[in-house]
Amino acid sequence: MADSERIKQILFFLSPALALVVVFYIIPLILAVYLGFTPLRDWNLKAYMGKFTTQSYEYLFYLVTHDPDVSKVVKTTIVFTSATLIVNVLGGLLLALAAFFMEESVSLTYRSLWLLPRLTPVAVYSLLWYYFFLGSGEGTLNSLLLRLGLIDHPIAWGTDPSLQPAGTWLILIVVNGFVGVSFGMIIFYSALKSIPREQIIAARIDGANTFQLIRRILLPQIRWHLVYVTIWQLLSLLTTFAHIFLLTEWGVVDRWWGTTWALYVFNEAFSAGEQGVAAAAATILVAIGAVLGLLSLRLLGFKKMMQEPRGEI
Amino acid sequence: MSLASILGRVRRGRKEAVAETIVYHDVETISRRRMTLLLATILGLISLPLVMIYLLLVLSSFADHMLSGPDIFTAKYSLENWRLLFEGRLEPAAAPLYTFWDLVKIIINTLVVAAGVAAVVVVASTLAGYAFSRMRFKWRRGLMEFLILLHAFPGVALLIAVYAIYVWSLQLVPKNVLTSYQFLFTILARASLEIPMSIWLMKGFFDKIPWEVEWSALVDGASRIKTWWKILLPQVKPGIAALSIFAFLAGWEDLIYVHVFLYVAGGIKTLATFIEETIGNIETAYLPIAAAAGTLYLLPTLLFFIFTQRLLLETMSGGVKG
Repeated sequence: MADSERIKQILFFLSPALALVVVFYIIPLILAVYLGFTPLRDWNLKAYMGKFTTQSYEYLFYLVTHDPDVSKVVKTTIVFTSATLIVNVLGGLLLALAAFFMEESVSLTYRSLWLLPRLTPVAVYSLLWYYFFLGSGEGTLNSLLLRLGLIDHPIAWGTDPSLQPAGTWLILIVVNGFVGVSFGMIIFYSALKSIPREQIIAARIDGANTFQLIRRILLPQIRWHLVYVTIWQLLSLLTTFAHIFLLTEWGVVDRWWGTTWALYVFNEAFSAGEQGVAAAAATILVAIGAVLGLLSLRLLGFKKMMQEPRGEI
Repeated sequence: MSLASILGRVRRGRKEAVAETIVYHDVETISRRRMTLLLATILGLISLPLVMIYLLLVLSSFADHMLSGPDIFTAKYSLENWRLLFEGRLEPAAAPLYTFWDLVKIIINTLVVAAGVAAVVVVASTLAGYAFSRMRFKWRRGLMEFLILLHAFPGVALLIAVYAIYVWSLQLVPKNVLTSYQFLFTILARASLEIPMSIWLMKGFFDKIPWEVEWSALVDGASRIKTWWKILLPQVKPGIAALSIFAFLAGWEDLIYVHVFLYVAGGIKTLATFIEETIGNIETAYLPIAAAAGTLYLLPTLLFFIFTQRLLLETMSGGVKG
């Protein structure tokens, strides 16, 4: 077949996806880094686009070191990311192991149940937890504790100044923890399922109990999956903010203790009108994303997944 | 066939024949029944808050007050909250804030975004998935790797720049098609987020289809495009179904993109921003009516979740692996 004909055919199949990738990933990525070096404000592209400056980075550095609110954001990002990461990876591992040792019908029910938070519309999921942690006696948590007699007046978990930052952090970790565990669960479960059954049977015949089986047979075989999930979750926790966005907007949690770096970037760009500063702050995330993304790509066992097409004529 | 399912068959078969005199010991996990019971109980206790918060929301939408647990047995249930929601009254005593048709429009807006995202994702990834599965070209591997890498880039950084492009492009759009353009841009921008994983997913579905029929078609001189349309697409229907559901739910659940591109930029509401606004306006919002709004928004997700459970779970495993 003529070469130009082949190229035409390949382009037919690839062009819609490539067009989307170019317009919504490649150009924006370059543009985001570029915007970090402009003084862009209030989306006034005409006035600020051509001006090169590093003032956004200097300003950002000043804020991190001097502004008490922004230093709260940095602390929250560190605590929230590491604590939720542990919850997500360990929780996902425990769920996957439990599902692995259960009979299929029961296991299926649980696995899909834990998928529900991920599929639930963000606004509804936030509403569920808004109502759960509500500071008045109407909130589920307060109402239950009052009924049990454990507290005698309703507690504003996320806003009472004497409980911060612990209260706010706890809410953020719980809310995101329930969404995040399903990722690890799915990856670990399919990894566990692909371990040859003979190995497990052999270990059982040799008299291994469940704990030994997990420790000596199962965990060593999924260690790369553990690393992969950890990196990937770290990346999502650093960059996603949808679930936190409404909790702070609705005042469930303290405004600054409840803001992570990604949400700070979003607010700078879309509420404060400081797109130059926001883009500079986002560029830091882009750099982290690039490093962690490349790292997890190496861990994926990429070559195995890319077989050559066999029937090319 | 896995050992477990063979054993399961043997067990069932024997049970029918010899009744319970034979106790079959599964050598692999010794006492799987007991283990299942134990684990299911522990997991059940951990999952309880999760089930509870969903249950309380749905029940509260029919109740005379927000429920918080034991009171689900004593509350009075009616359709009152749902009536008030559709009448536009966010509090029983308040005047209507919007009309019935306003709410219908909000629901239609949400559907348009979700269906649009599904359509864009399905078209782009069934095309690209085929090329990556079946065609040999220079940048094939590099491009596939690059797609995964794209998935790793922070959405918030993209969002700022995509919004800048949006602001710039608005001046080129005639006023009379502005609303359509706003929807189109939102759909394309949101769909792009799903593109990398969806291409991987579709490539996986194409990889599983045997080559033989395709070979004979290609040898007979059929073009690639014709083969893709006539021979392969009918065979990946389950994959297309799973992908459509996923992409639809992704468009349906989205908050940030509809908030930025439709609500802030154009004053166009969807169910997500409707709830955002309702709760943000908490002095006038009466929680059971907000619960009804939340349940309404949750409905399609729950329906897909219940009826396509296994499909979603399998696709999810295929999708996130890649």
